[in-house]
Amino acid sequence: MTAVAPPVLHLSLIVGGELWSEDGGKVGRVDDLIVRLGEDGYPPVTGLLASVAGRQVFVPADSISRIDQGRVTLAAARLDLRPFERRPQEVLLRKDVLDRQLINIDGARLVRSNDIELARLDGWYRVVGVDVGLRGFARRLLPRSLAGGVKESSFLDWASVEPFTGHVPTVRLRIPHPRLARLHPAQLADLVEAASHSEGGEIIDAVGVDPELEADLFTELEAGHQAEFLEERSDEEVAALLALMEADDAADLVRELPDERRERIVEELPRVQNRRVRALLGFDPATAGGLMSPEFVCVYAQASVAEALERVRRDPGPPDSLAWVFVMSSHKRLIGAITLPDLLRADPELPVGDVAAVPQRVRPDADLEEVARLMTDYDLTVVAVTDPEGRLVGVITVDDVLELVLPRGWRRRFGVLGDD
Amino acid sequence: MAGSVRAAIRSARDRALARRPRLRPRSPRTARLLALLAVLGPGLIAANAGNDAGGIATYASVGAKYGYDLLWMMVLITISLIVVQEMAARMGAVTGKGLAELIREQYGVRWSTFSTVSVLVANLGICISEFVGVGAALSLAGIPKYVSVPVAGVVVWSLVVRGSYRSAERIFVLMALPFFAYPVAAILAHPHWGTVATSTVAPHVELNSGYLFLFVATAGTTITPFMQLYLQSAVVERGIGPDELPGERAEVVVGSVFANLVAAFIIIATGATLYVHGDRSVSSAADAAKALAPFAGRYAEVLFAVGLLGASLLAAAILPVTAAYVVAETFGFEKGVSRRPREAPVFVAVVTVLILIGMTVAMIPGLPVIGLLVAVQVVNGVLLPITLFFLWRLASNRELMGRYANGRAFSFLAAATVFVTSGLSILLLAVTAAGL
Repeated sequence: MTAVAPPVLHLSLIVGGELWSEDGGKVGRVDDLIVRLGEDGYPPVTGLLASVAGRQVFVPADSISRIDQGRVTLAAARLDLRPFERRPQEVLLRKDVLDRQLINIDGARLVRSNDIELARLDGWYRVVGVDVGLRGFARRLLPRSLAGGVKESSFLDWASVEPFTGHVPTVRLRIPHPRLARLHPAQLADLVEAASHSEGGEIIDAVGVDPELEADLFTELEAGHQAEFLEERSDEEVAALLALMEADDAADLVRELPDERRERIVEELPRVQNRRVRALLGFDPATAGGLMSPEFVCVYAQASVAEALERVRRDPGPPDSLAWVFVMSSHKRLIGAITLPDLLRADPELPVGDVAAVPQRVRPDADLEEVARLMTDYDLTVVAVTDPEGRLVGVITVDDVLELVLPRGWRRRFGVLGDD
Repeated sequence: MAGSVRAAIRSARDRALARRPRLRPRSPRTARLLALLAVLGPGLIAANAGNDAGGIATYASVGAKYGYDLLWMMVLITISLIVVQEMAARMGAVTGKGLAELIREQYGVRWSTFSTVSVLVANLGICISEFVGVGAALSLAGIPKYVSVPVAGVVVWSLVVRGSYRSAERIFVLMALPFFAYPVAAILAHPHWGTVATSTVAPHVELNSGYLFLFVATAGTTITPFMQLYLQSAVVERGIGPDELPGERAEVVVGSVFANLVAAFIIIATGATLYVHGDRSVSSAADAAKALAPFAGRYAEVLFAVGLLGASLLAAAILPVTAAYVVAETFGFEKGVSRRPREAPVFVAVVTVLILIGMTVAMIPGLPVIGLLVAVQVVNGVLLPITLFFLWRLASNRELMGRYANGRAFSFLAAATVFVTSGLSILLLAVTAAGL
């Protein structure tokens, strides 16, 4: 979607074109273009591969004077015949990029490159974009004589795509993390699920620079893919990842681990997370106990509203579980609950016990239907879970319930072979 | 106002909860049944989808026309099927990409368009034959095809486009359980087991076009391109990696052997009855079921028909999906990425068009069903080498497959399969063209 002033050249028409010497004689045929990735901006052409007298030769950029569709002209009359060797960060456009998947960062989706667009920018030929439309496809399909007639379509600017390079032996590029960080963890997880295993691995590697984001991504991945990517990691690495997750998500993930690894990994968790995850693992995942998160704010009834607000302010927990503040008696029994807005509106001097209402609660063994019914009937976003003594042991937030009650068709990936 | 909103939310919630599988512990029996169904992986499903309407028709006419003479071929075909399916499963597990996607990446736009078009032609033909099969199976129960075919079409379409395909797949496989009926039907038909055994090991070759025709049709219906395409895509979708390959291989072997045992029993059942009694003109599965009744009893007919219905529906669901995947992979339309079907118009379009054409053609009055079914198998037999060639070359590609590439012995076996099937197809074309 850019307006690039110089004429756009299509890779499909450069490759397979003639290679001319400076004095105008044909010396061979162009096989592939080489570009260098890994720098900002549009990747420059650093050379080309050509067939000359039945041999494949490498032509460095400084021997090229002009690149046109159908013809590349050399800068010298004589060609220095050198075999091709891959240099770091260089890719072959046709072999390594064309026809393969790329991440369209702006669209948060995977696209396949039907053609690659080049242009002369800042004095040299560079890749400026990728054609993912039908025009690019038609140009490749038609015979050469007709292909030139296919007009160029709007194409994706190179700045908004990111190629996978895991299959190129000499390129050890990491997808730049800041670009992926623009996407929501759920979008990243979708990309990982849609990509092949090695491509998904590249995305996760890139995100790994930011462990928090990586943990969020893993939270969003569906169970099968979580297992797929955790398999290759050591127990310590898995534990480090779990430590950054919310306790209930971490417990869910631990349940997916193979039996023999589970205990070792939980053992590696930091003390607080270890305690929380263990507590949650004791509950059946299909019950309130398994759904709940142990992260909540609960204050004594005698505490003032201001003190309660201060507790919320200092609590590092996720915002959705802090939407309610719970109130307990001096025997630690749950006796009240109040929403954060109500708390803000209340007189800061009053004891919380005076402003809180009687909370709805469920036992840890309540099943999902009971929880969902309670939430709908009382319009709740958070439900308290209490033990038989009436003590608050956890809270269930609406997102955890919604995830499970969503009708199957709504959640389904478009792949019909995909998961329910 | 608020009340009605709340009522709406409540009814939506109730619907959602009703549809969701219960999370309470299931009774042990259903739990066991579900565990059994979960085991049904792509390897088993792909192989058994091959025993579809066209397959049953072909096997039945092989038995009716030549008795047990072609049984020896089933042994060879089983080995070929295992070789071919194993390559597809292995490529899916190692590369995490579908076959059409790999052809596009390794061979470029022209070759992948060529192979996609050939797959679409083959799939369209089979899709028609599945609906013909549905119509034939239900017509045995007295339901006219003008009712059964549209209903089946709508059911399959909504399952594929709107519903949960994964559970539908399992229902269809369950419906194909009457496949177990074929051994029973074969036993009821009282074959001469000694002859069966010798025919299985001793090759019998005739050089006439009728024999060759059925030979190629049998190969074409047992090893069908959609089975490899489906298997590889399904392996990818289920995230089966190289470490799970041994299990997937075992499943491929079990699935192929089971599917071809069923095929062999169909041949035995018709061979022991129709062939022996000189009724050799049978060419459709429903015909076979009807013809079987006088010799093997009314149950044989019913079992035959139910098996035919389940198999046809399973294949009728898998085929459009496979075609849609191939189109999406080849042309680079996005797939996956949690888009709902209506956001993937190409997917829906391919599925809809295939089912619509299949349904419509199957309902044409006075359609020469038998000629059509066999022609479809032949088209498949002829197009098969194209898919197999790519499968073989890609699975041998070390750059792509690393240490999982075909070994020398395996590559030889795969090449033999590719060239023998191609040779047979060309031979058939030549024989047909010469009008022998």
